[in-house]
Amino acid sequence: MSVVTKKPGDDTVSAEIGRRTDEWSQCLRAIAKHRDRGAFARFFKQFAPLIKAFALSGSTLSANHADELVQEVMLKVWQKADGFNPDKASASTWVYTIARNCRTDLYRRLQKFDTPLSAEDVSLDQEGEEPAAMLHQRRTRERVRQMMGSLPADQAHILAKVYMEGKSHSEVASELDLPLGTVKSRVRLAIQKLQIHMEEL
Amino acid sequence: MVKFHPDMHMLTEFTAGTLPLAQSACVSIHLTFCSKCRELSEAQTAVAATLFEELEPAPVSDSQLDIVMSRLDETAPLAYPRENRSQTCSTPAILQRLMAGDYSDLSWKKITSNLRISYLSTGDPYYEFALYHIKAGGVIPEHNHRGSEMTLVLEGGFSDSNGTYLAGDFLFREAGDVHAPTALADEDCICLAVLDAPLSFTRLKHKWMNPFLQLRAS
Repeated sequence: MSVVTKKPGDDTVSAEIGRRTDEWSQCLRAIAKHRDRGAFARFFKQFAPLIKAFALSGSTLSANHADELVQEVMLKVWQKADGFNPDKASASTWVYTIARNCRTDLYRRLQKFDTPLSAEDVSLDQEGEEPAAMLHQRRTRERVRQMMGSLPADQAHILAKVYMEGKSHSEVASELDLPLGTVKSRVRLAIQKLQIHMEEL
Repeated sequence: MVKFHPDMHMLTEFTAGTLPLAQSACVSIHLTFCSKCRELSEAQTAVAATLFEELEPAPVSDSQLDIVMSRLDETAPLAYPRENRSQTCSTPAILQRLMAGDYSDLSWKKITSNLRISYLSTGDPYYEFALYHIKAGGVIPEHNHRGSEMTLVLEGGFSDSNGTYLAGDFLFREAGDVHAPTALADEDCICLAVLDAPLSFTRLKHKWMNPFLQLRAS
């Protein structure tokens, strides 16, 4: 059996497979491998309230639509659990991505878009990404998580509007009565602070 | 190597899922060419996922769990192949969904002797989503943009006064931006253009065509 060194801040590392695991990743694995309904119910209790909060945060969806979104996302979790790859994403990132795509599709349905493309078709799909790239992504995630708390309030507020409320930069500008340039520069400063460098391009 | 990319704000709106459908399809195809932008979008997803975890949970009633549990049997699990997908220079998957065939199977509308356009339907009612086929060495007559134009080179390349664009390169032009792209001499160029207002040719010789260039969003 190989020996895996555990660094401070690492999640539990399974020695047999050398792969990062945590409670919710294991839960998804149990759902995928054993169709474990108990694990699914635990996962629901953890994530359904976050999905509902995400649905309601844009404040354009009714409570009924928010419940509909929770059901749709959780059924997708059941259906797609086998596609979850703990090397690639944490369980919460995976669920967030499903919730975001379902919410975008719901908005488009409500606006009567008739489209052959789902938000999932259009979203970033990293099946087949190199292990080195996945490791890099995992480090980025850890860094982002650590840095988020240190953002100034006005920048964190704008990021929440952009990512959670799902508002475009110009919608945020008109809602907060700020010039579009100010919104863009706050987003840019926040992203720079999180060390997501655009200038390396 | 891809040289031209969407700016950070566009990538942010793409990642947040708020970019209009037709534009997000174009950015998504750029990402299939560009590992750097994939990485940036992935990092932004990490930002969003962290915000998601920190949301104030909204109460969900037990009856919701019961409803979902009762529907599990009607939801068949999906199995995912584990092998790596080959990323050879085939037609991007999104375009395959919209085209039913290859570029050569599309119906192309001849605009000038060098330029043919094929309109694809994304279902986005506000943006035209079209493929442009420019003959090797051919020039698109100088034109203006009444709205925004997002362009992605799919095959071959073209140049204009700002530089040379090859497969995977992304351009965004605002209203009022005049240019006259010329395809590279040795290869036909195919690019994707996403517009929210029709092109308008600026030279007298080509102006008569403008009424025929109405926006075809759908």
